Amino acid sequence: MSYVPIDPGMLRGEIGMVTRPRRRWLPFSPWHLILMPIALIMLTPLWSMVATSLETLPQTRHFPPILWPGDFQWGNYPGTVRAADFGLWFWNTTVVTVSVVASNLLLCSLAGYAFARIRFLGRGVIYMVLLATLMVPLQVVLIPTFLVTKSLGLIDHLGALIVPNLANVFGIFMLTQFFRTLPLELEEAARMDGASRLGILFKIVLPLSMPALTTLAVVQFMWTWNDFLWPLVTLPFNEGAYTIQLGLMNFQGAHTVDWNYVMAGNVMSMMPMLLLFLAAQRWFIRGIATTGLKG
Amino acid sequence: MAGVTFEHVTKVYPGGTVAVEDLSLEVADGEFLILVGPSGCGKTTALRMVAGLEKISAGQVMVGDKVVNDVPPKDRDIAMVFQNYALYPHMSVERNLAFALRQRRMPRAEIDRRVGDVAEMLGMTELLKRRPGQLSGGQRQRVAMGRALVREPKAFLLDEPLSNLDAKLRVAMRAELGRLHNKLGITTVYVTHDQVEAMTLGDRIAVMSAGKLQQLGPPQEVYDHPANIFVAGFIGSPAMNLFKARASGGVVTAGELSLPASGVADGEVILGLRPEVLEPAGAGAQVALTMRVDVVEPLGDEVLVHGTVPGEAAESGAEEEDLGTLALVAEASRAPITVRLDPRTRPVPGDEIPLAVDALRVHLFDAISGAAMEIRAN
Amino acid sequence: MGRLRRALTSDHFAGWAFVAPSVVLVLIFGLYPIVSGFLLSLQRASLLSPVREFVGAHNYTSILHDEKAKQAAVHALVYTMTFVPISVLGALLLAVALNQKIRLIRFYRLAVFVPVVTSTIATGIMFLWVFDKNFGLANYAFGKIGVGPFGFFESTGGAMPSLVAMTVWGWLGFDVIVYMAALQGIPAELLEAAAMDGASRWRTFRSVTWPLLGPATLLLVVWSSISALQLFDEVYFVTHGGPLGATNVPVFYVFKLAFQQGIGFPLAGYASAIAYVLFVAILMLTLVQFWMGKRVVHYSS
Repeated sequence: MSYVPIDPGMLRGEIGMVTRPRRRWLPFSPWHLILMPIALIMLTPLWSMVATSLETLPQTRHFPPILWPGDFQWGNYPGTVRAADFGLWFWNTTVVTVSVVASNLLLCSLAGYAFARIRFLGRGVIYMVLLATLMVPLQVVLIPTFLVTKSLGLIDHLGALIVPNLANVFGIFMLTQFFRTLPLELEEAARMDGASRLGILFKIVLPLSMPALTTLAVVQFMWTWNDFLWPLVTLPFNEGAYTIQLGLMNFQGAHTVDWNYVMAGNVMSMMPMLLLFLAAQRWFIRGIATTGLKG
Repeated sequence: MAGVTFEHVTKVYPGGTVAVEDLSLEVADGEFLILVGPSGCGKTTALRMVAGLEKISAGQVMVGDKVVNDVPPKDRDIAMVFQNYALYPHMSVERNLAFALRQRRMPRAEIDRRVGDVAEMLGMTELLKRRPGQLSGGQRQRVAMGRALVREPKAFLLDEPLSNLDAKLRVAMRAELGRLHNKLGITTVYVTHDQVEAMTLGDRIAVMSAGKLQQLGPPQEVYDHPANIFVAGFIGSPAMNLFKARASGGVVTAGELSLPASGVADGEVILGLRPEVLEPAGAGAQVALTMRVDVVEPLGDEVLVHGTVPGEAAESGAEEEDLGTLALVAEASRAPITVRLDPRTRPVPGDEIPLAVDALRVHLFDAISGAAMEIRAN
Repeated sequence: MGRLRRALTSDHFAGWAFVAPSVVLVLIFGLYPIVSGFLLSLQRASLLSPVREFVGAHNYTSILHDEKAKQAAVHALVYTMTFVPISVLGALLLAVALNQKIRLIRFYRLAVFVPVVTSTIATGIMFLWVFDKNFGLANYAFGKIGVGPFGFFESTGGAMPSLVAMTVWGWLGFDVIVYMAALQGIPAELLEAAAMDGASRWRTFRSVTWPLLGPATLLLVVWSSISALQLFDEVYFVTHGGPLGATNVPVFYVFKLAFQQGIGFPLAGYASAIAYVLFVAILMLTLVQFWMGKRVVHYSS
């Protein structure tokens, strides 16, 4: 085995690969040859969407497709809002999403803390039962869940989107795991200082759990905002309760050839999620990475 | 102010492990009592039972004259300093100190007064606005103490508070703790595995092993008169030299060493000699045994000399697992021995040093039970 | 009074008080449907009326004669067996690439991650446009290299591949993030040791990195397979199961039977049965994958 001398200046922290002195055939790293095309492919649909949203109708019918409209039709946006109930849809979606996220933060914290730190009768059994429900996806129990929601009189109301999602078992699971990693000593000290269980949770545990809570909030926000199947099933007649996803579907169906308006609507519907992503990238990535690592 | 009492206290964990067995001891009002022993001996569990963080399986714990078995921690009027300090990282020092008082709905003025007083007493007034993350180890330790003091408790519980500090700081903080106790006189129960801390700080020390109390008494007494072989081997550094010996007709023999010991029944015994009872035999003195030097450790004011003598070593049960010297003694029929010598004797590995023994300060232990045996003076 | 107070402040009470709201919700909306759904699958039932007729295993046996159901199963399998390898292997390549410290890396990362936050509808709309037969970019680009034009979602042969392409686009970033997290969890000393032993980059990857990514790979394969078998939104919105049933998949079929075309008929029980068969298939596939995975994957201690 020959010994290859490694100059520390060569190890640039590339994971999985170690650089070696070699002839440079290109003025840049060969990784660009893979990454650039892929990045372009990933961004093209988004670019096309934005470009089309700023075109006139004849421009959209132009082939080859125009990717730079030149004269931006900003008026398409107000036009789209006037053409359909975008404002109402945004409002509905916001109400549902904020309620669900807030509720989850509260209920999952309470439950997670109890599972992590309180010894109570039946704790193990109940935890197992909750985890078991995680194994059965919504798509499999779509019909019976619909029937339960119907029997509670929630169908065709925003309540159908809020109530069943007030406590997400995944969130409980995630927070339970996280709370267990906090030093028990802190909670024991607080107990000795006279704090009640609730006090310990709100004054000590939660302030120290900001990363996990933010991750949960961000991930839950995305799920709820983008949810399609459940609203579709539970809002069969009441278009006044439509969320943005349902509204968008309707809009596209009613304007199948008005691509500029459809794209404008699409851009608007995506805006909140895109902005949230740009602002909270770290948390999205954490959320996904922890999902993966906990399996 | 009140004392703390253990009455036949036992702790058994759900799996069956007995952490503390039938512990009975009384900490007098204002006393500084140290629970000392190797890790796993049950000292921390005993402390936590007083704190209320562990349920008591049997027996009672009393604070003052109140039985506190079922009393929640916050109502026991005791305060605890945790090993890792357990300072609330998201709160300033001031809020850390005030936390317990706020829980009790104490009036704001009173809280501020107490916090200010304690901060001044511990020299922390400039640190009040900082967060634990910005403090050094020693400062954090003081905040942890302050947090306990501010509650003006009946008793103080400390769980190895100095073990996270570096050596020099530890010595300084030890002195501070001593000063504080002299000044405030609060009943204190202190847990440590470091027998030097135990000896220097305690009014009395309670040596524990495997859940049982081995001996209770003032440090010097425990040192001079260990109740059994475990205590003998645990207390004192360097550890007592222990040899297998034989008693016959009032004489105890171990290797080439022979000592008079009247009142001792014939049979196998264990002989214990603290390093300081062995001196180089001066001219004309009776040579008790001869030591062959292996390793010399100069400490400045004295020299620790490790070597071997003819004989067989005995174990106290207090040895640490990584004790290397026993393993290094490859020769059969020789036992390791450690003595303290004046540096001017300049010992060198390979030397054979004749040693004399102070016969009044030897210890004998029963070979089976390990209990100390009385030697009647001649 | 003392006993009541003790009970109220006990850990048992506190524990239950804390978990009660969540548990009640999960029992109503999670556990109960699982049981009642199974019971439903043993009945003839309609969503519109409470009338129920017990038919035992009849629903399940009917599935065997149902051409559409079998077609849906085949499509689910085909979709899964294309979607999973492409997205997992593609993600692996991308994750390694995105871990490099080169210029523009932040741009590249953003480009790969952003599609994850788009909703299925938004993605569907974008791809309906890009894949538009007459005006879409895709046919334009293909035309430039002398292929096509393709029908994409409108052609019976092209609809499924187009679905795969669209869903891979939407989910790749997710898998990439998981892989990147796993890559960054590989202790640097292992790679340095390999480098000092003279291993080439490929060798290092094959012998050190790849085996250590085993758990992540297994996880992604299982997760992607489960998602793939549950495909619905894209089929409902973009292809409507067509053209001519070319993209009919199990969840879509269940939805149609219970909530759309079948709503006038008592097919809710039958649809439920199909859903439960799907569940069993998912479960078995997961178990098989884990079992095979355990034999191949070492979990580093």
